[in-house]
Amino acid sequence: MSDVLLPVAIAVPLVSATLPIGLGLKYDDAGWPVAAVATTVLAGLAAAIGVEVARNGPLSHALGTYEPPIGIELVADELSVAVLALVAVVSLATLAFARVAGPRGNSFYSGYLLLVGGLTGLVLTGDLFNMFVFLEIVGISTYALIAADRSGASAYASLKYLVVGTVGASLYLLGVGYAFLATGTLNMLDMQVQIVEQASYADPLIRASYALIVAGLGLKIAVFPIHAWQPDAYQRAPDAVTTIVAALVSTASAYALIRVSYTVFTVDFLAANDAITTVMLIVAGASILAGSALAAMQSDLKRMFAYSSVAQFGMIVAAIALANETALLGGIVHLIGHGLLKFGLFLGVGLLALGYGGRELDDLASAARSAPYTAGAIAVLGLGLVGIPPSVGFLGKWYIGVGAVESSMGAGDPAGIGIAVVIFVSTLFTLSYVARVIERFYFAGVGLSDGHGEEAHGDEHDADDHGGSGSDHGVAADGGRESATGDDDGPLTPVEGAPRSRLVPDRVPSVPLAVLIVAALATIALGFGGYALFEWFDPFLTEVFA
Amino acid sequence: MTDVPITDLRPLLAVLVSFVAAFFIVASHRSPNVREGWTVAAAVAKFAIVASMLPAVLDGAVFEWSLGAFLPGGIEFVLRADALGMLFAFLASGLWIVTSFYSIGYMRGNDETNQTRYFAAFAVSLSATMGIAFAGNLVTIFVFYELLSIATYPLVAHDETDEARAAGRKYLAYTMFGGGVLVLAGTALVYLIAGNVSFTAGGIEELANADPGLAMLAFFLLAIGFGVKAGIMPLHQWLPEAMVAPTPVSGLLHAVAVVKSGAFGVSRVVLDVFGPELVFELSLPFGFSAGLVLSTIGAVTLTAASIIAMRKDHLKQRLAYSTVSQLSYIILGLGLFGWYGLVGALLHIPAHAFMKLTLFFCAGNLHVSTHTDYISEMAGIGKRMPLTMGAFTVASLGMAGIPLLAGFVSKYYMLIGGIRMGAQFTPVAYYLVGALLLSGVLNIAYFWPVIYTAFFESEDAHDAKPLVDFRMGGESRSTLPATDGGRPEDEDEGGDADDEADIDEVVESAEGDSAVDTDSDPTDDGDLPGDSDIPDAEMDDLPTDEEGVVRPDFDTSDRDFSEPAERVDTGDYAVDSRPSDADVPFGVGRGDDSSDGDRADHSDDATHGAHDDDSHDDDSHDDHDTEHDDHADLADHDDHGHAGGPPAGGWEHIAGLDALRGRESTWFTLGPILTAMSLAVLLGVIPYEMGFLELIELIVDTRLPEEVMRP
Repeated sequence: MSDVLLPVAIAVPLVSATLPIGLGLKYDDAGWPVAAVATTVLAGLAAAIGVEVARNGPLSHALGTYEPPIGIELVADELSVAVLALVAVVSLATLAFARVAGPRGNSFYSGYLLLVGGLTGLVLTGDLFNMFVFLEIVGISTYALIAADRSGASAYASLKYLVVGTVGASLYLLGVGYAFLATGTLNMLDMQVQIVEQASYADPLIRASYALIVAGLGLKIAVFPIHAWQPDAYQRAPDAVTTIVAALVSTASAYALIRVSYTVFTVDFLAANDAITTVMLIVAGASILAGSALAAMQSDLKRMFAYSSVAQFGMIVAAIALANETALLGGIVHLIGHGLLKFGLFLGVGLLALGYGGRELDDLASAARSAPYTAGAIAVLGLGLVGIPPSVGFLGKWYIGVGAVESSMGAGDPAGIGIAVVIFVSTLFTLSYVARVIERFYFAGVGLSDGHGEEAHGDEHDADDHGGSGSDHGVAADGGRESATGDDDGPLTPVEGAPRSRLVPDRVPSVPLAVLIVAALATIALGFGGYALFEWFDPFLTEVFA
Repeated sequence: MTDVPITDLRPLLAVLVSFVAAFFIVASHRSPNVREGWTVAAAVAKFAIVASMLPAVLDGAVFEWSLGAFLPGGIEFVLRADALGMLFAFLASGLWIVTSFYSIGYMRGNDETNQTRYFAAFAVSLSATMGIAFAGNLVTIFVFYELLSIATYPLVAHDETDEARAAGRKYLAYTMFGGGVLVLAGTALVYLIAGNVSFTAGGIEELANADPGLAMLAFFLLAIGFGVKAGIMPLHQWLPEAMVAPTPVSGLLHAVAVVKSGAFGVSRVVLDVFGPELVFELSLPFGFSAGLVLSTIGAVTLTAASIIAMRKDHLKQRLAYSTVSQLSYIILGLGLFGWYGLVGALLHIPAHAFMKLTLFFCAGNLHVSTHTDYISEMAGIGKRMPLTMGAFTVASLGMAGIPLLAGFVSKYYMLIGGIRMGAQFTPVAYYLVGALLLSGVLNIAYFWPVIYTAFFESEDAHDAKPLVDFRMGGESRSTLPATDGGRPEDEDEGGDADDEADIDEVVESAEGDSAVDTDSDPTDDGDLPGDSDIPDAEMDDLPTDEEGVVRPDFDTSDRDFSEPAERVDTGDYAVDSRPSDADVPFGVGRGDDSSDGDRADHSDDATHGAHDDDSHDDDSHDDHDTEHDDHADLADHDDHGHAGGPPAGGWEHIAGLDALRGRESTWFTLGPILTAMSLAVLLGVIPYEMGFLELIELIVDTRLPEEVMRP
């Protein structure tokens, strides 16, 4: 009976998506409350499903009482529950930010709820074609949300994403079609059996199907070199939209890849098809390197973290392609962890933009002096992304790294060793852009008293400025001077009407700031939960690798 | 000896006390005295917690606290206080107390900004250091290793200048490469081939049975990963650049906590992951073993770093290379297979810490009190700072290995260990012994000039420093402005000291005489300067007045003002009384090699004088007054853009009772200097009673196989 939770969880956001438009005929501001209620209900449902799966194992539900393999099946196992929890939490938390920052209007919140519904459906479905449907729902709502602020730049970015995303979804559909041709079924679990019975892992039709699915999902995940839509889409979208899209959309596509690779095609298929996995590893490695390098070159924060996603998803794709239990665990942990980290990072960046108008690194010099809590949370999240323990970013990297070394020791193939080296060195690559941000926030030397540090735009100093850039030592008599005196806002100037808080000097809205700090602490807490996470995913992994 | 670890909260408390204190430090940022009180309180509490465990550990007990399974495979997040961990923890926590007081004196004396951030980051760094000391397995030590890099980064980049940021970037890049890449890879590999990453006295058993090639790879990944922080060449570059940090940071972190954590990590790898026996047996071609390669890297580093140190004019840079060199003693000793070598290596950890801390504190005190950073400006500074330079002398002698000081004991053990290893196992060890002996000589070579110039040279006639950059026999220099319009020497001219004196005489004798001496025979009159004696002066063309004094022609009626006026070199005008204002090579006010960055601290700012007056705040003046009294006269030094060196007229001489009363500086800085120096002396005289040698003997006794046990 509890499996009814599954269709209800999908239906709630989808049906609620109609409410803002409906209620909009009477009320102007119905969107946000409806969205808040719907996502809260979804969070509750996700928790209930989680409890149910923890107690009794995977849940499944036959939609419309049509039995699989003809009917559509909804399945919740440990992996789906984890991603569903992420979807629920992030979609709820982003609303706190969207209330102050985001696009307003009922149609926006309708689109928002459509996205949430599509994501929930993507995560809970057990049917390949149904997954395509939800993939498209997610895609279309994302295209709309990205263009939600009605500016030309965001419309262009959205159009780019639309074209690429539709191509991706079409390739996925083509792949599913080939698989249907070979096996006659669309249900995931049934197809797993039928591939072996009716075709084989070496069947060209099956291989082509997998390759097409990987290519299609790769376009949606945005791995190098098919990532080009992502930086524009993330940068130009409204800040609240970027927050949810960056945390959830590529994550859901990567989840789809894991699901297809391990539940439908199984690890034996991957082991039997070295060529495909090698290509995936090469693309993943290139993603990690290129994504980090491109991120390090950016001066706009949102663009920087967009390229960072390219690199991080490269690691996840590498974990998938390694076909190793530890690596897959790492991939899944990193999927969840990265979703949470990116949520926090884009939220922080959005708060700084909201409060101080600064989007470029240059404009945010010594931001930590003006907004210590915001900058601190961004720093903690950034270091988590680098993989500094104890953070969930470290956990994912550890598992993927151990898995990579393990698989290269077992098989001895150079691709495995290569990816192991790239994974370990990726710490340095991620550090290259995160350290830039931290350095800019904390050590830019702007706003120091008595002429210490730099002038306000100290990055360019004249060539004839002898002996460096004027860091003199004053002779103030106390034990150092802190600049938090009264109305002094530090090096950054807040925008007109930026909120003031009694507790913190940051001139950013308080509730989103609290959410940001909670998110940062949550990533550290999750970092200590390595064993707990392993125990949670163990049933799924044992089943997949049996 | 108990084998079962005792569950105890104290290792966790030792880690957390300063982490928690960091929050209080930040919270009390408006009251500097309260804030500093938190630092001192945390330091004392931490030392008390660690010291309370020491007697039991000396008896063989082990205290453990575990968070439980952290990663699958039984990897726990565990803090374990065993003898080796206690060695490092006891040292670091004890020295933090000393450094806290020094920090207070230094930061206030130098009027540094961001002091709250500094003290908070210091507290967190010490927390991470305790975590490294007490870590019970490779994953835990990796966690704290990374946290230490993050926590010390704000200290390195503290000044927020370009140089500081560049140094910080380099520091992060190197330590993250060493830690995040190499140590992580090594840990993963050890986990995969042995299934166990816990520190086990004598080595993880499964490693001995694992594939030797993979074990060797894991060893080098781990050793080099930890070695980056220990400053082995060629990955040592971050250390000299990190000298841009405030001196207490250089002192505690880069001579005690950070570099020692690297050396400590290597010692854990050698003693507790692989075990000395396996390290000796993992063999490479040409009769080398993993341990021998480690020792060879150490030997090469210590020699090369000593040679580079001799070429450095900036005192802190010289000390940085000395640190690189001395840390490699530890690395060298760890690769020696034998009781004496290991004891010597481990004993060098506290020995070097005490001595190097003294040296850095002295350098910092010189900076705060006289703004002198360069050895070439330190002639005669022993008059001005007798206690400081005295402590410097004692510590330097200890570094060179003079008996009765700490450095001698550790070196002695290592020499014996090397010779025994050479006699019993492989003759390569003899070369290592040779390197140790050579480095003693090199230590003298780069420390003695500093001592000599401080006490035995005078400001107006001293040898140009660094000595190796100039000819044999030295070249005379003066850091005082010449009072007779002295001529700066040309770079190209070798210049005898005699020549200079002659020219001065010559020029002096020109005064009062008619300088115009047309067509005179150079040898005509011994007293009158001939044309050839006076460089650059065309005496024929210069207009003179009745008394023979040369007066330039100031008739400007037909002068073309689009051109600058002609310069007249009369030979007896002082063009400027401060030679530093001109482009004088190696003169005062002009740096050499990489020291421009530190010059930035003192670049001239015309408006600076106004700044100081406006920024004095009476309320907070009080606590600063006492420290400032002693060097109020020098407080103006900052403003003049003059980098360092003696004031006109030479160093102020502080002697006798004044010196003993500490008038040269403040007791906040002098106290720690003298404390660290005394500890170095004590460790050299009574190493057992100080606890360190006993602890180390316990460590080594439990980790060596029979054939190389203490005889």
